Amino acid sequence: MKNKNRQNRKGLYLPAKVEILDVVDMTSDVKLFKLERPKSFYYSPGQFLMVSVWGAGEVPISITSTHEIRKDIELCIRKVGAVTSALHSLTAGDYLGIRGPLGNRFPFEEAFGKDILFVAGGIGIAPLRSLINLVSEQKEKFGKIALIYGSRNPSEVLFLDEILRWRDEGIDVYLTVDVKTDPWKYSTGLVTEHLSKQRISFKTCHSYICGPHVMIKAVMRDLSLMGMPAENIITTLEAHMKCGVGKCGHCYTDGKYVCTDGPVFNYTEIKQFGMSNP
Amino acid sequence: MKGHFVLNRAHLSYWLRQLRKDADLIGPLRSTDGDIIFSSIENIHDIELDCPASIPSPKEFIFPQKEEMFRFSDKGVSSKSNGERRVIFGVRSCDISAIALLDRFYGELYEDSFYMDRRRNTVFISIACNTPDPTCFCIGLGTGPFLKSGFDIQLTDLGNRYLVQAGSGEGLKIIRRFRHLFQKPEKTDFDDQYEAMLSSQSGFEKRITLETVRQKIITAKVEDSFWESVALRCFQCGGCVYECPLCTCFNVVDWKEDKDKGVRMRLWDTCMFKGFTKMAGNVLPAEKQIMRTKRWYFHKLLYYPEQFGKFGCVGCGRCTITCPGRIDMAAVANKLD
Repeated sequence: MKNKNRQNRKGLYLPAKVEILDVVDMTSDVKLFKLERPKSFYYSPGQFLMVSVWGAGEVPISITSTHEIRKDIELCIRKVGAVTSALHSLTAGDYLGIRGPLGNRFPFEEAFGKDILFVAGGIGIAPLRSLINLVSEQKEKFGKIALIYGSRNPSEVLFLDEILRWRDEGIDVYLTVDVKTDPWKYSTGLVTEHLSKQRISFKTCHSYICGPHVMIKAVMRDLSLMGMPAENIITTLEAHMKCGVGKCGHCYTDGKYVCTDGPVFNYTEIKQFGMSNP
Repeated sequence: MKGHFVLNRAHLSYWLRQLRKDADLIGPLRSTDGDIIFSSIENIHDIELDCPASIPSPKEFIFPQKEEMFRFSDKGVSSKSNGERRVIFGVRSCDISAIALLDRFYGELYEDSFYMDRRRNTVFISIACNTPDPTCFCIGLGTGPFLKSGFDIQLTDLGNRYLVQAGSGEGLKIIRRFRHLFQKPEKTDFDDQYEAMLSSQSGFEKRITLETVRQKIITAKVEDSFWESVALRCFQCGGCVYECPLCTCFNVVDWKEDKDKGVRMRLWDTCMFKGFTKMAGNVLPAEKQIMRTKRWYFHKLLYYPEQFGKFGCVGCGRCTITCPGRIDMAAVANKLD
């Protein structure tokens, strides 16, 4: 027993070395990394990894794949900083370090028998995709399922093929862009403009939201005003993290650690901290 | 009384010399600049037995300002253990109280191996404070000047002798190994300790209770204009954080030594810096100084009590000594009390 604890302790900051199996270009600055899944590595939708590139550093990245469906681990990563730039220079056969899975998960069992609304903005589709794929595998357990996905322009829409497959399988899909370019046969405008168009029961529906900070804030507020209970409005937060295990203090906000208390929070919790700040 | 001993003052240096044989002995020294710093002891007689608070606090011996987490290369990662045995002598009661809280912070939920390895190999010998500094306010927080528990060994200076209290098994061990140096205490020894405690307690210039401040904050009686006035005086030097025995935040950086090998380090960090919470795409969640000021004070005054049942301040007064803007914990508490 003591030895086992010791191993866990050592593992806290030591990344495991995993091989990149494949890298897929998604858009001009987003790539999908498929990683080898280590033995006895189990994860749930909403959890994240600390991903290391030796010499560049470590960043938190949400897992976009679904454990029950895929044997590998998929990470959808935009090139925005030093570590993600280093990640983007890696190719299949290269190695990187991972720690995790970390954080809590999307609660979804409580949505059994109820409608579900997913609202995604930009790369915010990545953590939700893990849950959408799990839910779409067991659609019979839920009521209506809808997805509103907003992007800046048609060239930045991620996982389009998969989204169209979800639509064919019976999920109500609303795609929208801020700026329309041809050919684009879906909507334009902000995701909030499409909330009221959903034919779902807002009073009992469970919603899962991820996107830019301002979008999350606006969607949570609107859904709450439309009568959705605050506990059913669920999001996942992004934060600066150095450890992912509640020690480094970077993600700490108003008494909560995004890494260990989150990253998944409901609107009741959100109202109590962080985003409610000016 | 069990766990209580008396050590003749003349025997102290002999005892420390014996302890140094199988452990690194660390204690307070006066640097050439006149500051008190904790350092490895070369000459036992250099130890300062009656001195003001050290800057920084001895937390740096269990949570170093800069430490190697592991080395990496194309072969993988390797980490060495921090197994060196250490005896840290002359620690103040407030710092012992802080370490007891750090033990919970780093040890609970996920155990921080770097901290805990060092901690398990360290024995603290603290000295109860007979003469508090003008900046000290531990008395209002119950974190000093004399401790009832939480220490390995506590010494009380009674002039020609020390009353020695063992508070942990590790502490008792290094007394028992040299039992010929220690005598059984008499009633007068306890009486003298009590006298020393009363005299120390009456010597405090600052009488601060943070509970009133906490109550005022949670009942929303402190307006943002107050925090604005505090934030205005902040130089963003981070001194309060670095000197605080209870500040735990760190940054992690990779240093490349070669093309495919290097070392991952962790270094003290401070939430007083704008970039502390910087996210991808240069998003700054705490861009205004007032947000960072509130974050620090709220953490210590509201969330520490919520999480650990204790304030995130032990009244050591180091932020008072350090802050060039004079907006330390004691000053804030005084204004709100």
